[in-house]
Amino acid sequence: MSEPQSIKVVDACDLNDELRFLLKPGGMVLDAQKRRHRLPRYFYEIPSHEAAMSIRLTQHFGLNEFTLVDLKEDPRLQEFPRYIPCAVRVLAFYLEQFRRDAGGSVHIAVNGGYRSPSHKLSQNATPHMWATAADIYRIGSTILKGKETIEKYNGIAEDSSDDLHVLPYGHVTGLNADDHVHLDLGYITVIPREISEDRMEVPQENKPRFAFEDRRRVERRSQPATSEDE
Amino acid sequence: MGSPRFSNIRQMALKARKAEEKLPVSPANDSVAASEISLYRNVLKIKEEHDLEELGISFWDAQTTIQWSYNADHYFHAASTMKLAVLIGVFREIDRGTLALDSPVHVRNRFTSIVNQEPFMLDLASDADPDVYGHLGKTLTVRELAYWMITKSSNLATNLLVDVVTIESIQQALDELEIDGVRVLRGVEDQAAFEAGLNNEVTANGLQKMLRVIADGKAFSQEASDDMLKIMLDQQYRSGIPAGLPKAARVAHKTGNISTVHHDAGIVFLDGREPYVLVILTQFRAETGRGSAVADVSRDIYNTLAGLTYE
Repeated sequence: MSEPQSIKVVDACDLNDELRFLLKPGGMVLDAQKRRHRLPRYFYEIPSHEAAMSIRLTQHFGLNEFTLVDLKEDPRLQEFPRYIPCAVRVLAFYLEQFRRDAGGSVHIAVNGGYRSPSHKLSQNATPHMWATAADIYRIGSTILKGKETIEKYNGIAEDSSDDLHVLPYGHVTGLNADDHVHLDLGYITVIPREISEDRMEVPQENKPRFAFEDRRRVERRSQPATSEDE
Repeated sequence: MGSPRFSNIRQMALKARKAEEKLPVSPANDSVAASEISLYRNVLKIKEEHDLEELGISFWDAQTTIQWSYNADHYFHAASTMKLAVLIGVFREIDRGTLALDSPVHVRNRFTSIVNQEPFMLDLASDADPDVYGHLGKTLTVRELAYWMITKSSNLATNLLVDVVTIESIQQALDELEIDGVRVLRGVEDQAAFEAGLNNEVTANGLQKMLRVIADGKAFSQEASDDMLKIMLDQQYRSGIPAGLPKAARVAHKTGNISTVHHDAGIVFLDGREPYVLVILTQFRAETGRGSAVADVSRDIYNTLAGLTYE
């Protein structure tokens, strides 16, 4: 797996109020079975469309493919810089295996990669909110619809790895899929190696963890105070 | 059988008809009343010739302020003319700032019935809009969907936009513009709703009011009205109202066709005069086929207007 290039990790608890509200880092959410899951806190910060297009997570999967959303996503989260949980790189790794086994290019649907907790489809906890799920609408030239096609590729996904979970063919939203293949890895949270987990519960106000934080603090100190600050 | 209805020429036309019944000599051919009577006769003839079960017409001319209608409050199955209401609903949200024309919408062929909440898919083979379903799994903007919904009557684009703005919002838009005679209950091809008798319905007067609001630049704003007109002017199905007009005529319109109805509702622009709004709704037996009744009525109204002289 290739390391993401020119991209930094942020603790979403350090982001501004609006972004924290939308991303809900570390927040608890319930799935359809009323099980509690803690949302991811560490995100890749994508500075621009060009960066999203150029950054490769694996040989065949670019970062942008996991960020395609429509107007169901909050408008702010469609603006750059954008944020995506660090676990996306794990998903890309598994998708690369699936692609090899399926024998064709794998196309992730719009709204089929990362969906924030503020996305209108995020009514219950779903691995999409961890960036560990993908809805695939086309493999090679085959549009995935119909029982036979979906079950064929579901089988390939399950054979590809025991870690991959698929939704069976059917018509009940959230439990089945009838116009795409859904596969996910469950609720995986990636904690960057620079993080010390004894400081997980609250944002670290004064202690830099990443090089960019030092730069940010220097920049802040160099800016004149605004009237609001006064 | 419906009856004609007039606004400013009504009394004059009634007097003229009574006079005509008594006198062996018809009124002067260039009078408005005579033209109206002639139009009425011709419309009845077209209805008979095409074996129509129902015919509804509503006409309003910005140049002369003449308004004429026939059976115009009768409700018809809306077919694709309901897409005009969806367009109104979309532009209401744009005007309110809750939606942008450039907002991306996921193109997905999966919708939920209003009756039983069961999912359903459109039969894409019968939907003449590869411009939309070619984007399955990707996005199109609200502007693109609105364009294909009107100009190629894309059912997929329509249902996607209904999902975006919601039926409630569409109805709210109609209410705010004080448009009655247009009932929008659901999107397209919701078979369960159809079987439950839940259909979109329109009257000729209802559609005429909607088009007039757009023509007057009062559909939320001049800019929104202009945007809607621009889309409607690119209509690609021209066998209805435009087929009865000179080639130079420009028509901003929306057709509606199912097995038993053929409608067209449009704003007609002719050089050297203000536009007129014309809605023609026809219903026939499935075995009859749709024929050219809409074009014939359109032609008759154009000829009537062309023959009018104004005092």
